[in-house]
Amino acid sequence: MSLVFQSLVLGVLMGGLYALLAAGLTLYFGVMRVVMIAHSAFLVLAAYLAWAFTVQTGLDPMLSLVVTVPLFFVLGVAVQRLLVARLRPATLTMMSVLLTFAVALAVEGTLGFVFTGTHRRIPLSYSGARLELFGASVALVKLIAFGLAVVTLVGLHVLLKVTRFGQALRATMQHREAARLLGVDTDRIAGFGFGLGLATAAVGGTALALDSTIYPSLHWHWIGPLMAIIVVGGLGSVAGAAIAALLLGVGQNLLQIPLGTTWAQTFFYAALFVTLILRPQGFFGGRLAQRF
Amino acid sequence: MRSGSETVAKAFGLVALAAFVVAFPSLASDPFVLSVGVVIVSYAVLATAWNFVGGFTGYISLGHAAYSGLGGYATGLLILRAEVNPWLALLLGGLVVAALAVPVGIAALRVRGASFVIVSIALVLVLLLVFQSWESVTGGSDGLRVPRPFGPEVLRPEQHQRFFYLHAVLLAVMLLCWWAIDRSRFGMGLKGIREDEDKARSLGVPTVRYKLAAFVISAFFTALGGGLYALWFGFLDPIFQFSILVGSNMVLMSLLGGVRSLFGPLVGAVVVGYATEFFKAQYGDTQMHLVAMGVLLAVVVLFLPDGVIPAVRGLVARLRPEQASIREVTQEELAEEVRR
Repeated sequence: MSLVFQSLVLGVLMGGLYALLAAGLTLYFGVMRVVMIAHSAFLVLAAYLAWAFTVQTGLDPMLSLVVTVPLFFVLGVAVQRLLVARLRPATLTMMSVLLTFAVALAVEGTLGFVFTGTHRRIPLSYSGARLELFGASVALVKLIAFGLAVVTLVGLHVLLKVTRFGQALRATMQHREAARLLGVDTDRIAGFGFGLGLATAAVGGTALALDSTIYPSLHWHWIGPLMAIIVVGGLGSVAGAAIAALLLGVGQNLLQIPLGTTWAQTFFYAALFVTLILRPQGFFGGRLAQRF
Repeated sequence: MRSGSETVAKAFGLVALAAFVVAFPSLASDPFVLSVGVVIVSYAVLATAWNFVGGFTGYISLGHAAYSGLGGYATGLLILRAEVNPWLALLLGGLVVAALAVPVGIAALRVRGASFVIVSIALVLVLLLVFQSWESVTGGSDGLRVPRPFGPEVLRPEQHQRFFYLHAVLLAVMLLCWWAIDRSRFGMGLKGIREDEDKARSLGVPTVRYKLAAFVISAFFTALGGGLYALWFGFLDPIFQFSILVGSNMVLMSLLGGVRSLFGPLVGAVVVGYATEFFKAQYGDTQMHLVAMGVLLAVVVLFLPDGVIPAVRGLVARLRPEQASIREVTQEELAEEVRR
């Protein structure tokens, strides 16, 4: 019983991180109808930057966010402006996948070249600390990672719902032409949408670096589950992606008990294939998903 | 007549290509060059197999490594565990993979665009997990040693030569199939799907069946390519068999050459394969390969989405003396027709 509860708690914590990353993917998809394969490559890049920051300065990796979040925002705008926006609209969806895939390869290769393929882990004074949570024993770093994810998601939610920029962004996601007719500079907003999405990768990468070993090809282990989450949740729906992320995260952790870590990974892909057979538009998606 | 001279040029090109392929093993200065030749034809086989679905239907699969890997493993396992004749195992392996591709295709082809690419990637990742973990059958991460189909009396260079010709024959069969489909009603329907699936459907093209058929044909040939490579190389490691890179290589080669042309994937395979082997020989296996491949793919997607062959053809057409009319028949011929 306690083992199941433990897995449940760990699953929720994992799901929080998945939800944050899936939110980024949803933003890209919302503003440009683009599936950004390179998202998890940037996630690993942020993790490496956090690692390098801590190793060089000896400060806490979370302080690296001060640099990486603005940096990734600018990178995101650049990726949208310089690469994605140049594709022909007719073949945008297919070609953008290939283009962002190419970006992912370039990022992975550069990471391997600069940091070598050696597995790295951030030395943390509190990495061994554990907390008792309703009877489950949870590593402190996992809680911090979850906290980072939740704070960022809440911040993102407020930004989208309250500010004028958020309104413009949501309008662009809902109907680009209509938004432009109402005076929204949709090209600029799309660039900012990419920037915001990549900024979530910066936060996620730092959270990831806190409690796992990183290596350049790690992003392939993330892109599969993340893709499964956005398909199950319904492409383009932030809330749907978050629900799917929590459900799949919990499911994966529960299945680890009878199956072991490797086979439990296949749960994501099983969920992906089942979703495509039963409901190709996703289970929690709104209107956006239908169009795809 | 332009079309007449074009036909002659085409026939001449084909004969020259065939002559080069036949002569290559004797032209190759040493076994290493010959082995590079085998790798390049193998790339060409895989890229052309990919193009049955990518070129005709426009559904870009990044996960065709799933079928080449499965083909390799099916061939190897049939030889090792069931003691089937190697060549029969190759064919059976291809058929098994084609049968497996039917349910996968039904699931994957329900979605268009990005979702399809996601599914194709997911398939490779899940197969990698399965083949690494299921040690009792697949040999797990240690890999699987595939016995050579020729006896020990056949030496290395001789092996390379035989496999070079075997790959070339497979490639020729595939090119013939592609050419035949390209001219058929079936091919017309597939190209309709590529240009506008909804319109094709409303015109009565059975899109679901056509897409699935193209997908299964492509999986079958990819599996044969993977199996033949496994017989030549003699060793299978899940990391390299079920690698996203193998699949993306197929896409890069086809796109670079031109997915709408019969010889596009072949041209792309020669360029990319030669460049890869050249850099490997010069600089060894570094991470810069990934960067180079990423940059090349990005350049192709951004600036040459139709490939080299159409781009060169466009250039040639511009250098030719300007044609008087865009019509295929001249004014005089039309007038003649009217008078009759």
